[in-house]
Amino acid sequence: MKSLLDQEFTDGNIVIAKTEDLLNWARLSSLWQLGFGLACCAIEMMATSASHYDFDRFGVIPRPSPRQADIIIISGTVTLKMATRIKRLFEQMPEPKYIISMGSCSNCGGPYWQHGYHVLKGIDRVIPVDVYVPGCPPRPEALLEGLLKLQEKVRNESLVKKTL
Amino acid sequence: MLTEFGKIFVFILLAAVFVVVAIFASKLIRPARPTKEKLLTYECGENPEGSPWIKFNIRFYVVALIFLIFDVEVVLLFPWALAYKDYGLSGFLVGAIFLLVLGLGMAYEWRKGDLEWARPVINPPVIKKQPYVKEVASQISADDNQTVLQDQEI
Amino acid sequence: MKTREEIFNILKQEFPQDVLEFQNIPTEPIITVNPLAIHRVCLFLRETAGLEFDTLMCLSGVDDANGEKTNDPDGSVTIKGGTLSVYYHLHSMKLDHKVTLRVSTPREDPEAESVESIWKCADWHEREAYDMIGIIFLHHPDLRRILMPYDWDAGYPLRKDYKNPEFYQGMKVPY
Repeated sequence: MKSLLDQEFTDGNIVIAKTEDLLNWARLSSLWQLGFGLACCAIEMMATSASHYDFDRFGVIPRPSPRQADIIIISGTVTLKMATRIKRLFEQMPEPKYIISMGSCSNCGGPYWQHGYHVLKGIDRVIPVDVYVPGCPPRPEALLEGLLKLQEKVRNESLVKKTL
Repeated sequence: MLTEFGKIFVFILLAAVFVVVAIFASKLIRPARPTKEKLLTYECGENPEGSPWIKFNIRFYVVALIFLIFDVEVVLLFPWALAYKDYGLSGFLVGAIFLLVLGLGMAYEWRKGDLEWARPVINPPVIKKQPYVKEVASQISADDNQTVLQDQEI
Repeated sequence: MKTREEIFNILKQEFPQDVLEFQNIPTEPIITVNPLAIHRVCLFLRETAGLEFDTLMCLSGVDDANGEKTNDPDGSVTIKGGTLSVYYHLHSMKLDHKVTLRVSTPREDPEAESVESIWKCADWHEREAYDMIGIIFLHHPDLRRILMPYDWDAGYPLRKDYKNPEFYQGMKVPY
């Protein structure tokens, strides 16, 4: 039997609308992140988690295992060697899962875009990205803004199958 | 009417029901899309090597046991520390004897060598201190010299 | 404490054929050594009283790019001939003097002797020089790639005529 959230509804009604409101609210208020730092952006990410900026007030708690995580913040330079690992970690996260690409390096290669023989030019070549946060590295406020954008995205999700 | 233990039984029952309902409900609702990658053992993204079911050193249990004993000891000692003054010398002695027995047990364990850990033997790298042999070296370098000349031409 | 010229004279006396040249560059005098005898020279430098170089500060591979350059139509460069070099920066903690050694190996057959048995820290340095420039260190115990993935088969990235591969494990590499 397919579980409830694996089904796709063709038309919405009040029950489905209210259910998805509840689900979306629950999801966006507890976006647990996979504790995963790659480079200097990770320092900013840690600063965001720390008391001054307090990621926790948005429900973002670092988790040690991808099995318990909802978002992964790609914070830093993604080398080709690391990209395969990131792909596996992303695939080991349970649905629904979201990705914030933080900083120029993971957005597009950043300063390594030309001569970086070892750098993946954009994490979106490997895994689908929801929010790009520009900056080198982005300030904690920018990361918070990225998270708010992601929450907006989660808030607008729907159980009803979209018709084109 | 429920006895005191009956109330505890109700609590246990409620806890069991809560767990079963939560697991069953999440099974109904959650999206389940297993893939081969997802079911792989989590090893920080590396290829998992070997089985995760490995033997642990039996000494971990000894340490865990000792930890448990002293953990429980603290639970008993906190209320004692708050209240022993009310009971005078006898209250103090009771606690002291309890601590003494625990300390004796610890000392016994220590003396018996149960706290000794089988430490890994560390071999620091030994750099060869062979004396420099001039004759052999110059002979070899004479052979190598031809290659040098070739190198220089390039 | 000895000046580099004195060190060169001692070496030249000990290895008349293997110690090739002394370049008295003001900032960094360099002694050029035969690549297949570098381990003997280094052992001598470490063991001899009055020299006692106990520290290998740095070992770096360099692409001299002094061969014949041809510009390919796709904008890249191919280099034939010339040399790849390894620089050894030695320091004596005890006597507080320094020396710089260089070995030059032909680009088509870059082989130098390993000094791993003399200074253990050369192990990873040599692996890096192998990984980045492609110099093969003879008698190295474990000459694998150290920074690039083990299955990297697109060559040695810090060579001047290195060409980026199109794909690595299905991931597009160029921008």
